[in-house]
Amino acid sequence: MTPRDELQASTGAYVLNALSDAERTDVEREIAGSEQLRAEATELADTAVELGLSVAPVEPPASLRDSILAAVAATPQLPAPPLGPDESEHELARPAGPAELKARSRWRTPLARLGAVAAAIALIVSLGFTVRAGLQAQTDMTTASQINQIQAADDYQRLTVDATGGGSATLVWSVSLQQSALLVDGLKGLPAGSTYELWYIDSDGATPAGTFDVGDGGDHSVVLAGDMGLGDTVGVTVEPAGGSTRPTTDPIILVQTA
Amino acid sequence: MLRTVTRNYDDDVDGITPAVTSEDLLGRVALGDQAAFAQLYDRTASRVFGLVKRLLRDHAQSEEVTQEIFLEIWQNATRYEPAKGGAISWMLTMTHRRAVDRIRASQASRDRDTRIGIRDFAPEFDSVAENVEIQIESERVKEAMKRLTELQRQAVQLAYFGGYSHSEVSAMLKVPIGTVKTRLRDGMIRLRDELGVVS
Repeated sequence: MTPRDELQASTGAYVLNALSDAERTDVEREIAGSEQLRAEATELADTAVELGLSVAPVEPPASLRDSILAAVAATPQLPAPPLGPDESEHELARPAGPAELKARSRWRTPLARLGAVAAAIALIVSLGFTVRAGLQAQTDMTTASQINQIQAADDYQRLTVDATGGGSATLVWSVSLQQSALLVDGLKGLPAGSTYELWYIDSDGATPAGTFDVGDGGDHSVVLAGDMGLGDTVGVTVEPAGGSTRPTTDPIILVQTA
Repeated sequence: MLRTVTRNYDDDVDGITPAVTSEDLLGRVALGDQAAFAQLYDRTASRVFGLVKRLLRDHAQSEEVTQEIFLEIWQNATRYEPAKGGAISWMLTMTHRRAVDRIRASQASRDRDTRIGIRDFAPEFDSVAENVEIQIESERVKEAMKRLTELQRQAVQLAYFGGYSHSEVSAMLKVPIGTVKTRLRDGMIRLRDELGVVS
């Protein structure tokens, strides 16, 4: 259990979603018991929204719109919440300003929130809808599920590096699964006749681990072929189409896992 | 009395003030109006997807999580109360939470304060921080960020734009977790004041 003054100092980490689940619950309990903390958390949450609005918008593919609208047509909505004792009290007494009212309703008890989730699940199940059905149609599902598997490993780790010439790359890996995946963003598109090639590099040299090309936004995710060794470095070079058996250019991405 | 910011976010989204606000649309969505939902989606999807993609990077996973978020918006629209904040605030708060949930979901059992974590996260910090700087589009937020101390700024950026937990931030910046927490709070309070979220 976190000491009280530390909980009260955690509103920033709370609105930034930087707390563990256990701490989050503790902080929510603390916030529920203090109007001052509630007001602070509400303001800081609104400040976090400003950060969100400062991120460059990215247009999702049209296929996602279709998929979401189809899922929505098949998904029932939650009923409007009944007027709880908390709200009705406000209606009668009106002691709080808008920020406080906003805060009170926003930081509902975790139990109430769990109840809402349970109700949602029950509703969906009872009506026989499966929300996930729409998701299955996505392309790259295999890569995504393999990445999920890596992320589900107990020893999952990730590391982000800049690529030479622009863009960045995030390696996610699990030593126990001997697997890794690279998520690149903002890489240059390559002329026909060349490709990006992946390498596992250890003290014995570089082993080819597959090739990939990037989409319009320079992004791509790929699971590396072959087994990852403990402490391997993952590299990316530009190679002739089809790939090479050993690197012929300087790496544009190098990720050290040890 | 406290008052929270009432900036019209629709201005930011479209560059013009639309006749129908996102709050109106969300109100209609709460009544089961699928056409209104489609309109709301068209107006906000690039904001939601941009933030999700910023956090998750992986395109396929970002699409998946964006779909989950919009389904949650659809299902929970009945619980949205316009008096308590703008529609885009409600949606982006949910967006950040869900994207971070996805980052953490599979890591729950892992002890993230291990020495391994510290060793492996430390070298990436410079590149992550640089990357984060570039991603801030709004001059207003960029200016406000400059008012933070170096440590506050780095901690806030890693947590919000990188989706890192306080223990990861602690390992990256090589400061104790308690210090990270107070810097995150101090930094957010400073940003709140600089951005005029309180008056």
